[in-house]
Formats: sequence, C-alpha cells, structure tokens
Amino acid sequence: MSTRGVSERDEPQDGMVSRRWFLDRMAWVSSVAAAGAVLPSEVGALGAGRGDAARLTTDVSNLPVRAGVQQEPTEMTLAETIALVRRGAVRPEEMVEAYSDRIGRFDGVLKAFAAKPDRAALLAEAGQTPAGGVDAPLRGACLTPKDNFYTADLLTEGGSRVYEGFQPDYDATVVATMRAAGGLVVGKAQMGNLAGGRAQVYGTTTPTTRNAWAPEDERYSPGGSSSGTATAVAARLAVAGLGTQTGGSVIGPGNLQGLTCIKPTFGRVSLHGVIPLSYTRDHVGPMARNALDAAILLQAIAHPDPNDPRTLGLPAAPNFVYAATPFPGGAPAVRWPTRIGLWPGYFEDGNEQVNALRRAFVEQLERTGNVRIVPDVRLPDQWEELTGAPLGGSHGDPTAFFIEALRKDVRDFGDRLPRFLNGMLQSADTYVKVQQARMMLLHRMETQLFTQCDVVLTEGTGPFDGTGLPVLGMPIGMDVDEETGLDVPRGATVAARPFGEERLLAVAAAWQAVTDHHLRRPPDPNV
Amino acid sequence: MTKPSVPPVEPTDDELDRYILTRYALLGIDISVLPESDDEAPMDLERLLANGRSILRQDVVAADFEIDPQFHLPVPHPAPFTAWTGDDR
Repeated sequence: MSTRGVSERDEPQDGMVSRRWFLDRMAWVSSVAAAGAVLPSEVGALGAGRGDAARLTTDVSNLPVRAGVQQEPTEMTLAETIALVRRGAVRPEEMVEAYSDRIGRFDGVLKAFAAKPDRAALLAEAGQTPAGGVDAPLRGACLTPKDNFYTADLLTEGGSRVYEGFQPDYDATVVATMRAAGGLVVGKAQMGNLAGGRAQVYGTTTPTTRNAWAPEDERYSPGGSSSGTATAVAARLAVAGLGTQTGGSVIGPGNLQGLTCIKPTFGRVSLHGVIPLSYTRDHVGPMARNALDAAILLQAIAHPDPNDPRTLGLPAAPNFVYAATPFPGGAPAVRWPTRIGLWPGYFEDGNEQVNALRRAFVEQLERTGNVRIVPDVRLPDQWEELTGAPLGGSHGDPTAFFIEALRKDVRDFGDRLPRFLNGMLQSADTYVKVQQARMMLLHRMETQLFTQCDVVLTEGTGPFDGTGLPVLGMPIGMDVDEETGLDVPRGATVAARPFGEERLLAVAAAWQAVTDHHLRRPPDPNV
Repeated sequence: MTKPSVPPVEPTDDELDRYILTRYALLGIDISVLPESDDEAPMDLERLLANGRSILRQDVVAADFEIDPQFHLPVPHPAPFTAWTGDDR
C-alpha cells in the first residue's frame, strides 16, 4: 500500500477518538433511553430549530462544474448548484422554477412527495434567501426532507394514519438549519409507515412511491423507509434530501436508486423534531447524487443541538467536504491510507451479476492508491448470537413512544402494528440483555473487526445501526432485475468505526473519480 | 386456579394467545377491532397473535443468553462519575 501525500496533521477523525470513549458514550445513551427521551421537551424552551450553525469549512464555489450542465438546472449536483448560484450564474428562483416544473410533470407518476409548498410561496422564499457565502452555503438548493421531519409550514404525517393531519408549529433542527443556510424545501418526501417498509397509502398495503428507475412498475420497490427522498433525488425532483435510518432506511433505498447516502455516527446530527422510532438507534442521513453532495449536506447539518442531548459533547465535525473532494494528482487515490475489509462471502451473493459488479468494484479499489484490501475479515466472537433475534433488535423502543396512539385505535398502525405492540410482551430481563449485548457487540466491533480494517464492505447495515457506527452506500453498476426485467442500479455498502465518515467519503470519492455510475439518471416517466 | 406444571412445560399456542390478549386488555389496548383472519387486511388477529407468540418465545432465547455477572465495559479513567464522587483515582 502506497502512502503518498499524507502529513502528520492530515488525519481522519476515526483514528483520534478513543474507542473506550465511544463505548462509554453509547452505554450512556442506552442507560438514559427512558429518562433521556423526555429531555428534548424539557429543554425545548431553549428554542426549537435554532438553524444557525450551518457552515462549510471548504469553499465549494470554486470546484469544477460540468460543461453544459447549466442548460438543465435539475441535472446540476448540489455542489454545482452552490457554485453556480454563488457565482451569480443561476438564481435560486430559477432552481425553484426548474424543480417545480419537473415535480408538476412527473410526481403524479412517481408519487415521491407527501406534501408540497405552494409554488408562489416557494419562489418568494427563494427570492429572500440570504446572500450566500459561508453564511448561506446551501443557497438555492432545492431539498426534500422525509415526512418524519417536523416542518412548520407543511404537514408532517410520518407516512402513517397515526400522524395524519399533524401540523407541527416548528421546524426540526436540521430543517431549520438547511433553511437558514439558504436551502429550499420543495416537498416532504413520502415514507414507509412510521419509518418501516416502502411508502404506502396510509393504513393499507397499497404502494404509493415508485422507484425512479421503474416508474411504470410498482412491483420494483423504491426501497424503504426513506422511499420518497430516494425517488425525488434520483428522478431530479430535488437535488438532495434527508432520510432517517433505524434499520437500513437510508442506505437501502439509496442503493436501490443509484444514490450516494451516508448514515453518520450516532449523535452527529440532531434528531430534535423528528418523529421517533428508537431513542438509541435513530439516525438522520443525507441522500445525494454523489459523495461530495452527501458530504456538503452532512457538513451543513452535523452540529451540536441543545435540544438533543445526544449531539452534545461529541468531537466537532471535521471537514467532510475535504474528505469527499477527489484526491489531487495523477492516479486515483483514497485521501488517507485505508485498509478495506471484505465481509466473508462478499462475492457469493445469490445473484451472479451482483457478484461480478462487486468483483469489478474491489478490483478498481485495489488499483487505487492508499488502499489495501483485506479479504474475508474475521467477524467478532458470537456474531450470530449478538446480531440475530432477539438480542440484535431494538425491543420496546417503538412501543414506548406510541402507547396513547395504540390505545386510540390499533388499526391506525396498519401492517406495522406488531412492531409497535411487541414491546409490551418483552420482559425487563430481555431489555437489559439486549442493551448489554449491544455494548458487547460494539466493543468487539472496535477491538476485533476494526483492528483488521479501517472500513468494511458489508451486506447489510443492521449491526452498524444498532451500534451507532457510520455507513455509506454508493452505486457500483447496473443489473437486470429478475422479476421485472428492468435495468436497475446496484449499490455497495461500506461501514466504518466511530466517527469514520471522512474515510467512507474518501473511499467513495476515489471510486467516483474514475467511474460514472453516480452520473447515470433514470429516464423520465411516460406522462 | 390451576397450579403451574412442575417441571414447567412449554405453553401451548392457546395459552400464549390468552396471555397476549390479557396483557393488551390490561393496558387498555383493544385489538378486537382487527379482523379475525383476512389476508387482504393490513393486519389481522391471526397474524398479530402469531407474531406475539414468536416474540414471547424469543424471550426464552434472551433469558438463555448468559453474561458474566462481572462483565463490564472498559470505560475511560477517570470515569465521568468522578464529577459526583470526587474520587479521581
């Protein structure tokens, strides 16, 4: 492994944070799950949605913009949008016009949005966005949060009859932050029922949101539960968006729709004003068209929030944009020397074409500077026991939040009802052991898995969701879906140790510097 | 009241169903509004009870998971608790 271009000070944060410190932190989160859940309302008087902390450490306005992209504003990436708006080449109102036109033409088929603002009001808001620069890094960016983020001007229904008609009186912290940074909310994205499964008509199992790559065939899922965000970003109805992940709900739909998405370390991003599912496993995650865009959005929202104690006392967010900026020089390279582990059986998926895509992906990574591939990493002791049912779950958490709604009418929960009732059947002994098992798993991932490698290419996200570790998904090629015969994107999932977002973004940036999968867009639906 | 069997035998599905229904009734959660058995419905009693039985039986798996009573995670030293105890050894 070559190690060019590395200085002593240029180190990612994952190597500088004590393993023991993060274990201690997560143990604290687990132990205060009950008491901590009431804290946000207690400290709400501090002011909801402060939205005053968005900063991009790196100025992206000087990054290159693809020739001709300006002719089709919705093709512009988030980085290109920011750069062109900053240079005065495009006005925020033009971006709103372009996205509103596409939403008007195609959302009737794609059904990506649960609620949309009035076009005139959005244009007026675009005209009043701050001047830009470091104080408004997202100026002109047309964004979509999932419908479980509170918005003061749009209903927040969580994809469920349980929240039908709910109108919050404030913005979630991250929504307020995006808006304060000049971002514009073009719609609330449809989602699976209370953050589970694909988006459906409330209280039924009838699908709504379509996969942007299969708009005419509802059988091919958009993924869940951040279905609408993935479809909107892939179909160019929004430049980027926000999802939430308790069990794969950002990375899953992102990989199904050719996006680059990141679920950061637990606590990096405020959950204040997000409909909860689990106090200890919920995460906010940017969903974008490439690694740089994901980094920009993460940079804008990764701040401590007095209304969410889980975000307080963490290491300050490093420069994600720097990490995701292609490493300069001749041959492609990951910014920092990185050992990339391969999950056991990584090339033995049931689908041969997926195996071939993975082989090509790993072969390219092997040719990338600063990379050493570690085949067949050894999984931590008792892996199956610690990650399988029942110890690998999040028992009781959803029930605790929804007892009054369960008493009102269990039918409102639709097909997700068991998930919300189960906590009432589980013993305190099980709950304690689930928490202990989770800490044992995290300890062993840090001391047994991430001693072999810095990041790991993995199949699923479950063990990383439960332990709060960062995960990134990115497209690696196209494949024919066996059921529908459609040509659809496939993604790779890569996970890291605590605060390893920079390394994940650097790997994705190196891959995307020499491939074009992230530039492919689905054809427009027939309307 | 029937005394529990000694040694305990695995409860039947019917016994677990009664336990589940009683538990929800105690909490004021009415699941009788669900259809008895309807594959077309988003949820029915049959599926809900089957899931509940599975969860209860998984509790046994969790109970069987043995953790060393002396198990503890490594924590930073001095631990955060020293803010209260004043013991910074």
